[in-house]
Amino acid sequence: MERGLVTLIGMSIAYVASFLGLGLAWWSWRRRQRPGGDDV
Amino acid sequence: MVNFTTLDVFWAVAFLLLMVGGAFFFYRLARRSESDFFLAGRRLPWWLPASSVFSTHTATDTPMWVTGVIYAHGLRGLWYTFFSAWTAIGAFVSARIFRRSLAYTQAEWQTQRFGGLGAELLRGWMAGWQVFMNMFILGWVGIAMGKVCALAFGWPVWVGLVLPSMITAVYTLAAGYWGVVMGDFLQGIVAIFAIVLVSLVGLSAAGGPTGVTERIVEIGQQWRLDVFAFTGWVDGDFPIVWWLTMLVIAVIGGFGMGTSIDWYVEAQRIQSAKSVRDATYGLWAGGAVTLIRNGFWAAGILAFFSMLPGIANAADYELGWFRLGFELLPAGLVGVFFGAILAIHLSTISSHLNLGALYFTRDLYQRYLKPDASEKRLVWVGRASTFVLLVGSFFYGLMMEEITRWLIFALWLMMAGIWLPNILQVVWWRFNAWGYLAGWMANLGVSWLVVWVLPAFGVIPKLPDHLQFWLLLALGALVFVPVTLLTKPEKMDRLVRYYVMTRPIGWWGPVHRDAVQRGLIEEAPAMKEKSRPLIRRTWTPEQADDWTREDWIAVILSPLVFAALMIGVTKLLLLQPGGLWLVLGAVVGTAAIYWVIDPKLRAVSTEYEAKQARYVEQLEKRLRWQKEEGS
Repeated sequence: MERGLVTLIGMSIAYVASFLGLGLAWWSWRRRQRPGGDDV
Repeated sequence: MVNFTTLDVFWAVAFLLLMVGGAFFFYRLARRSESDFFLAGRRLPWWLPASSVFSTHTATDTPMWVTGVIYAHGLRGLWYTFFSAWTAIGAFVSARIFRRSLAYTQAEWQTQRFGGLGAELLRGWMAGWQVFMNMFILGWVGIAMGKVCALAFGWPVWVGLVLPSMITAVYTLAAGYWGVVMGDFLQGIVAIFAIVLVSLVGLSAAGGPTGVTERIVEIGQQWRLDVFAFTGWVDGDFPIVWWLTMLVIAVIGGFGMGTSIDWYVEAQRIQSAKSVRDATYGLWAGGAVTLIRNGFWAAGILAFFSMLPGIANAADYELGWFRLGFELLPAGLVGVFFGAILAIHLSTISSHLNLGALYFTRDLYQRYLKPDASEKRLVWVGRASTFVLLVGSFFYGLMMEEITRWLIFALWLMMAGIWLPNILQVVWWRFNAWGYLAGWMANLGVSWLVVWVLPAFGVIPKLPDHLQFWLLLALGALVFVPVTLLTKPEKMDRLVRYYVMTRPIGWWGPVHRDAVQRGLIEEAPAMKEKSRPLIRRTWTPEQADDWTREDWIAVILSPLVFAALMIGVTKLLLLQPGGLWLVLGAVVGTAAIYWVIDPKLRAVSTEYEAKQARYVEQLEKRLRWQKEEGS
């Protein structure tokens, strides 16, 4: 496989994993900012 | 294929049983709590994290990589292996700060250092990245083991990928970090024994130290015996600017957290030490043994080169160390050698299984999905995520065999773009979560542009590695510096709480003054004195909390000791002039560091341990999104 393409695939997987984690943090933060939710 | 006698099989199986059984023995300790499953209850004396630091720095593919750079570059190739010298300064700076934070992971530390939504996004981002990274590393080292087993036994690659990893998973699942660190201790002993043995046998087979050097001179390759064989300031394949770049990345990186890909693994070892002092010595000693290991390896591989100097294909000469062991050791010792290879592999796999599970359990599951989970459930989630990581790594390993090399390269480049933010987050109070996150994200596009897109369209030439590093660093700064300065600083309450707890080094003036005004710390007691001894050896806890000249002496001497150890051991083995003096100098330097810094570390540890229980309680409350008293 071509070098640029395979690197793109690999880096994309890494960034997808990171964005999933970021999305989870965002969802959790929003939930806790609602009235009645926990806060820190 | 390697011919295994009955005695070889006996030794290989005996070592396997010792390493796995020894680790499995700690099953009961691991199941007690999350802290036990992931940090061995923060109760380890320095020599256990040290052996684990060495073992984790010795991955399955490390012998191939070290062999590759020494075979291609001669002794100057040692500088490529000097990247682990981040532990030289890291032991006295970042390890102390991180251990005082009590954070389980780098992601958790960032939610102490930073606050609000930015910190949470950063924690989620970092945890997602780390779960992926550990699965990726497991796949990559698994494939390396698959290739070694194919060489030794003629097995299909997938068998070598799956079988040893599954054996490792048994004790990692059962005994958690207790199993990992105890296994690392046993595996580290076996590995260092084999590395020393094979290097000595290799040297002997090549005609001894004199035979090796004479042969290399005879074929006109004497530059290979010089660790400073530069090809010019900027030209050739080993210019001085590249060497300086490597030194800066490795050594100055010790002031930051995450400047080396190994930081994330070692952060767990730092946190598992029973005190700040033990964390410091654990990281320092593990790094030192790693560099001594490089010295032994280099001598053995140079012996291999002197016997077979004409191998052109990297994939062939990278197996040089394995060939020395399998082809030169007598019956019986081949089994010991294979046991050592297994040891190296098992320690790598177990560490990354447990670390990936830690990021998932602590930073994703507990923080964002189930903050009130019981200790029993957290241990269960830790085990389940260990298993998922294992299975994922098999798919990764099999799918990515072809692209691993480019991915490693790509990951290195991404590290280049966030090298400076990783230091700034430790040393500069004004740096904030948005700046760090922006720097990391921008690096994706920037590294892609600089390395592939712009050269492909002829906008810029294909740049050498060192220029790529500095350019990526500068372009990253163009993003994260404005983002930092255009967004608000972290709240002073949070910064003061973090400052008082960890006492970071660097530019923290406004936070320090605020903490003094609030009566939380004294105004630099070590600095107020009119006269003090040149080297202070009696400390009050308040004095020891400040960064003083004793710390700087350790910081400056430590990388010099590491370099002297690494080069000195190789030169001594090759009977080159100066080898003995370098090793003796390193020993004296080590004694000097200990004499200067140990009283201070004892004072820091004693004071901090008195407060640790309260800090742990606060940390757990914060993790569960609960308000703390006084916050």
